[in-house]
Amino acid sequence: MDRISTNLPNDNMQFFLRERQKMMEQAQNQIASQSRIQNLRDDPLAASHATRYRSYTARLERYSDNIQTVQERNRIAEGRVQEATDLLQRARELAVQGAHGTYAPEDLEHMAVEVEQIIEQMVEIANSRGSDGTTIFAGDRSQQLPFRALRGMRAGGEQEMVTEVQYRGTINPQSAEVGENSYIQTNFMGNQVFWAENQRIQSRTDAGDYQVNQDGSFSIDGVEIEVREGDNAYSIIQKINESGAAVRARLDPVYNSMVVESTTPHQVWMQDQPGSTVLQDLGLINGGDGRAPENIAPSARRSGGSVFDALINLRDQLAAGDQEAVGGRGIQAMDQSLDNMLTTLGRIGAVNARLEGAFERTEMEIPEVIAQDSRNTDVDLAEAVMELRQLESTHRAALGVSARIIQPTLLDFLR
Amino acid sequence: MQSTFSGIELGKRGILAHQQALQTTGHNLTNASSEGYSRQRVQLQATLPLYRPQLNRPERAGQVGQGVEVARIERVRDELLDGRIITASGDQSYWETRDRYILQMEQVYNEVGDSSVRNLMDRFWDGWQELSLYPEQRASREAVLQRGQALVEGIQLRFKNLDRIRDMVEQEIRGNVDQANSLIQDIADLNREITNVKAAGDEPNDLLDRRDLLVDRLSEHLDITVDDRDPDEFSVYTAGYHIVQGRIARPFDIEANQQNEGFSDVTWSHNGERVQFRGGNLGALLELRDQDLRTEIQELDTMAVNVMDLVNEVHRDGYGINGRTGQDFFTEYPAILNAQGNYDRNQDGTFDSSYVFRVNGTNSLDLQAQIGLSGTMSLPAGSDIAEGGILDVPYRAADTVEDVIARVNNSGADVTARLNREGQLEIKATTARDRSQPDFVLRHLEDSGQFLTGYAGILAESGDEGALRWDQPDAVLALRGETATRQGADFAVAPLMHPSGWMEVNPAVVREPAAIASSFSVAGEPGETGDGRAALEIASIRNSAVGIGRADTLDDYFADTVARIGLKGEESEQALNTSERILKDLTDLRQSISGVNIDEELAEMIKFQHGYQAAARFISNIDQMLDTIINRMGV
Repeated sequence: MDRISTNLPNDNMQFFLRERQKMMEQAQNQIASQSRIQNLRDDPLAASHATRYRSYTARLERYSDNIQTVQERNRIAEGRVQEATDLLQRARELAVQGAHGTYAPEDLEHMAVEVEQIIEQMVEIANSRGSDGTTIFAGDRSQQLPFRALRGMRAGGEQEMVTEVQYRGTINPQSAEVGENSYIQTNFMGNQVFWAENQRIQSRTDAGDYQVNQDGSFSIDGVEIEVREGDNAYSIIQKINESGAAVRARLDPVYNSMVVESTTPHQVWMQDQPGSTVLQDLGLINGGDGRAPENIAPSARRSGGSVFDALINLRDQLAAGDQEAVGGRGIQAMDQSLDNMLTTLGRIGAVNARLEGAFERTEMEIPEVIAQDSRNTDVDLAEAVMELRQLESTHRAALGVSARIIQPTLLDFLR
Repeated sequence: MQSTFSGIELGKRGILAHQQALQTTGHNLTNASSEGYSRQRVQLQATLPLYRPQLNRPERAGQVGQGVEVARIERVRDELLDGRIITASGDQSYWETRDRYILQMEQVYNEVGDSSVRNLMDRFWDGWQELSLYPEQRASREAVLQRGQALVEGIQLRFKNLDRIRDMVEQEIRGNVDQANSLIQDIADLNREITNVKAAGDEPNDLLDRRDLLVDRLSEHLDITVDDRDPDEFSVYTAGYHIVQGRIARPFDIEANQQNEGFSDVTWSHNGERVQFRGGNLGALLELRDQDLRTEIQELDTMAVNVMDLVNEVHRDGYGINGRTGQDFFTEYPAILNAQGNYDRNQDGTFDSSYVFRVNGTNSLDLQAQIGLSGTMSLPAGSDIAEGGILDVPYRAADTVEDVIARVNNSGADVTARLNREGQLEIKATTARDRSQPDFVLRHLEDSGQFLTGYAGILAESGDEGALRWDQPDAVLALRGETATRQGADFAVAPLMHPSGWMEVNPAVVREPAAIASSFSVAGEPGETGDGRAALEIASIRNSAVGIGRADTLDDYFADTVARIGLKGEESEQALNTSERILKDLTDLRQSISGVNIDEELAEMIKFQHGYQAAARFISNIDQMLDTIINRMGV
């Protein structure tokens, strides 16, 4: 431009002043808020990543929380199971002593009384509550006591004793999310923890010619199994065995009837779904509104009891002075109960160890993600302050120069 | 023969000419800071000399000059540069308006901070996690309720902010159209005045300056070009149409468009056709209102309607601790009342359309199973990608269910497909590509083969007779009906208004937090108090690939939203800086050519002053000479 009009230097000075002030304000805002991103336009892709980092961090913190909650529940349950194990050890000692044959009937009677106390204590442990007031071993019926002790007078006894302990909880597993799409069970079923023997339910109804007459389904241990019209006993057996429930089905050779056995010690629950009568027709459960576990058909035989059944039997054997029974079935039942309890303890320990690992990993990941987010969006303070200083000094220089450019005109020199 | 008084006449001409030159210099000086002023120069030229070769020519040396006259007063202006400036000014105005509003839109999102909708939604899912761990406690239900309400408020606030910006844009469109109309009228009036002045032989410099200024102002509103090759008809065009043609003005009209939520269209007054703006602030505003803001509101609606639907799906199957089931967690207020989705679109009192948002099949499908069928599905799509708004999506026997679903989702149709939690095929409508179609309405569903009918269990019949069409009432009769052994195909009715603006937590749940579902049923009975599986499943919506419009997970949706608006902002800021620089360079150049330099004017002033003095001196000399002849000779 060869010719400079009078307004041009003025306009230019304003233009560049405005630009520099914009830059200074942006630098100031960045320093004040510690964030490189004042508006999304400052770095759209970094902002987009930042939303993912922040959400992920929140999720990781939730997982960390959940892990600690589950570990806490597990520790409390572990403590209780440990107490129960100690009680069972004591009962086993009593059984061994009672089987000696060196004790008089009165001593055996005293042992029976002690076993009765053990039973009461065991019921208390089984009905114990966790730190939030919910029962530990009730499945998901967590506001009610899982075990109900029925009492009655024993023949020859002076006071009421426990005759039966029934399980009143449920078998629904509850889970908590401890990692991305990774769940872990949080609750305990009383009829697994406090069980002694494998349960077997044997029907007496001949199943040889049985055929299902309409599509339906039934559930065993909460696992739903579908049957189609025309299925016979063999296909039902195969479906049960492949279903993933912890049971095995077979045909009894004597009665040609269905037998359902558990593969690990627990109480087997069977239920027909609404609209289907398969289990009822096979003679395993009775019809009507009966709920598991009380819905076993009267004609079917059920065997395999809980820890309470074992203790009650031991007490009765001791009270009756039946030393052979004590030494035989009594000790065997104690051993089986202990075995199952120790298995449970082992499982809880293993789960907690796994959770410990998960917790450490999560706790390490959280600061890493936060660091990545920070690298992404935080401002480098040293750099920003230096830039601000530089802008300030150029600003002063520019203002000084502008003042001189707004120079005198010819008017000042004419007379 | 020379006239006696020709000397005085000469001097007089000199004085007058220099006076006029001084006047013009003074005009320049006083207008140095006037906007749009171009400096004027007086062109002095010698008057016609005497004598021409004519009969009464005296016999002496000629031609004798007769003094000075002002040939013309012209303004120093580069008209070609003006044309470039008009274009650059339209650009700058477009980007400046766009930048301003996009910045407002960015700020609505409140990212990356802790009070954004994303953060509220994270806390909402967290509430369900907490409920799944402690389903017996009332406190965890209250927490879910409060966070749900906070989320709804956050979404509604974002909707209201976007809506408010849209209203502001609408107001600005109307204001700018009014301004443009008055400028157009003024230019036409000036044209008349200028042609009159030119017809009289004068240079209407100041009027021309004024007209150029008005044209500059008009170029900020819309993209124009200028044609002044014909001196009697100064024309201003936009997109090939005349706005001003000499003294004829063609202003704009504003008409409310019911198909576009009552927002206005800008039309030509004389024939009612819509005007296409491609630049200037009107171009930017219309684009912002009808594309950018509409997209943002649509994306927000998509997120709201999908989250509502996903949560409600699980919640309806779940049980509260009071044993109640079948309740929605989120509802829309007001709801479209007809359960079949029938709607009276043209407001004439009878149902004429069906507004269905989602259909589910009756059969559980397996993603990896080969379908073994072939045929073509007809799905609704925008009219710019499919003829007549219907897009054909084929499927073949060797495709797996997953392949078919992916093909539907990538086809560009206005639907998405997925398998819901029971494995049933679910087809949901998305926002409509065409502005005239309603959002979230399944406009057409047809299958020539058996995939949608027998295999997935959505439609009752194949082919044209079994198609679900929205332009008739009771379209849901085309869906597979109930039989003795199973239920019919499930469907959900479309929201009438923007879901994000009208969603709320179900008032029944607000009244009774115990109805918040946490458990699932076991063998037909309500779940136990300690069962939190439903809550856990709702919480898992957060990071599952559930299909929010085109995004897979909610994380993707939020990240995409931020990136989209941030990139628009980055682009507009960059473009604004560039166009500002370009405009500045051009206006600086114009200043250089047409601007007043005070020193230069003062120097000119001195020059003309001397000239004036010299002419005055000359007159007094001639006067003295005449005095000698008249008064001194022969007395």
